Amino acid sequence: MMNPVISHPLGNFIREVIPFPEVSFLINSIISIIAICAVAIGTAPILIYMERKICAHIQCRLGPMRLGFHGTLQTIADVMKLLFKEVYAPKGADKFLFYLAPMISLTAPFLALTMIPFDHNLQVANLSVGIPFIIAVNGFGILGILIGGWASNNKYSLLGSLRSGAQMISYEISFALVLLFVVMVSGSANLMEITQSQSGTILDWWIIKIPVLGFIAFIMFFISSTAELNRAPFDIAEAEQELTGGYHTEYNGTAFAMFYLAEYINLVTTSSLATTCFLGGFLPPLIGIESVDLLMMKVPGFIWFAAKVVFMISAYMVVRWTFVRPRVDQLMDFEWKFLLPANLLLLALGATYIAVLG
Amino acid sequence: MFPIEITDIFFYIVSALIIITAIFTVTAKNVLQSAIFLIFSFIGTAVFYLMLHAEFIAISQVMVYAGGVVIFVIFTILLTSRLGETNLSIKIPRTFISAIISLSLVFIMLRFLLQDSSLITSVPEAQNNYASLESMALRLLSVQSDGFVIAFELISLLLLVTLICSITIARKSKDNK
Repeated sequence: MMNPVISHPLGNFIREVIPFPEVSFLINSIISIIAICAVAIGTAPILIYMERKICAHIQCRLGPMRLGFHGTLQTIADVMKLLFKEVYAPKGADKFLFYLAPMISLTAPFLALTMIPFDHNLQVANLSVGIPFIIAVNGFGILGILIGGWASNNKYSLLGSLRSGAQMISYEISFALVLLFVVMVSGSANLMEITQSQSGTILDWWIIKIPVLGFIAFIMFFISSTAELNRAPFDIAEAEQELTGGYHTEYNGTAFAMFYLAEYINLVTTSSLATTCFLGGFLPPLIGIESVDLLMMKVPGFIWFAAKVVFMISAYMVVRWTFVRPRVDQLMDFEWKFLLPANLLLLALGATYIAVLG
Repeated sequence: MFPIEITDIFFYIVSALIIITAIFTVTAKNVLQSAIFLIFSFIGTAVFYLMLHAEFIAISQVMVYAGGVVIFVIFTILLTSRLGETNLSIKIPRTFISAIISLSLVFIMLRFLLQDSSLITSVPEAQNNYASLESMALRLLSVQSDGFVIAFELISLLLLVTLICSITIARKSKDNK
């Protein structure tokens, strides 16, 4: 049952070349941080293109078609446009907080991405407190939105940021409780160990391994993470028809690009988290037939990981363009009166399952 | 992993950052800016915990203070009309008196804490894995004399009661309509 494992060729090479272990440790950390940033920033344009195409096809349109083959160059043109725009703060805005807000909200997804195991040896930090770290870091996203909305000196921005702050704080509870369920059944808060606890066939993934509860937990994770991401149907924060764009109404140029980037990297982070916690992470989907399994194990883990993440991202995108947006009070009712009690019940049932069968 | 010198330099950088952000917290004209600087100060403290190999305490520090308490403070400031916009007027004599009081507090603390040599510890002296997630969770639930099971259960009960109370309050307001 061995996967093709990529060891540490680059890390070992640097450790051999540089005699001081401290310096090579520092260089290796810098390389992994740069790699994470490159992957995260590189995927964002692809995701924006993907979102446009999926949105267009759901609405029976073609989407971007003219620039490049099927509009592939459209995102690059958009990024160039955003980067060359003039950045200015509106009159009466708190300049310091206005420029700080996008930076803060960009911090959270990058920090969370360092915990994700992409392959057996592809992980920036293997902390024993991986899940609590991700929950803690998620708070910075809320902070960025709150500050950005206030510093814009615009009542629509402030309303949008207050709405999204309330929404994210509420749904964070469900988000954390579902992750707690995963920690409970897998017996570890370390994301690498959570992945390893699902090794075996496809039936050993947490979504299937616990009879009905796993699937319910996955759906709950999906709902609460959609709300955490501020994506439709939970895009109360932006609600174009009501708030003209929410907390980033007054932002333009690079500052707006940073908010936009944070949104898409958050999408990657959350999808990776769903993949790691429920869909077996980088493990191949073995089905128990030996000849097929051997073939699948030849594929490196990070390709399986990327495939599952792309599947999750497309699920989020299809949901975004399919459902209608609920009202603010309906949204809060749903969280506090249905999702939270259901989550507590799920935790109790999960504990019973472990006590009886585990 | 690090030689002690690099850790020392890092320690001084982080403590300088904590002190600077703490000073900004009390001197910032705007309440919201103070709250932001307070967050940076809390994160600096979390870095200290990380340097002492207490990962879980560091994460809790970020989760409870930076992610929880300060966000609620900011929320309150945003909901209170115009509190964040008007600058706080700080009178000179009051600033002078509070500066004297806090400086004398720092002086007394330094004067007496530095005498106690048992406080001067470094990382290697802590037991291995003393503050890791596993050992901490086991100690929380242990029924031995070093365990905290009663306190833990009481706090978890309190949290559950709070959650259920909030759900009940939300439900009641709907009936009244």
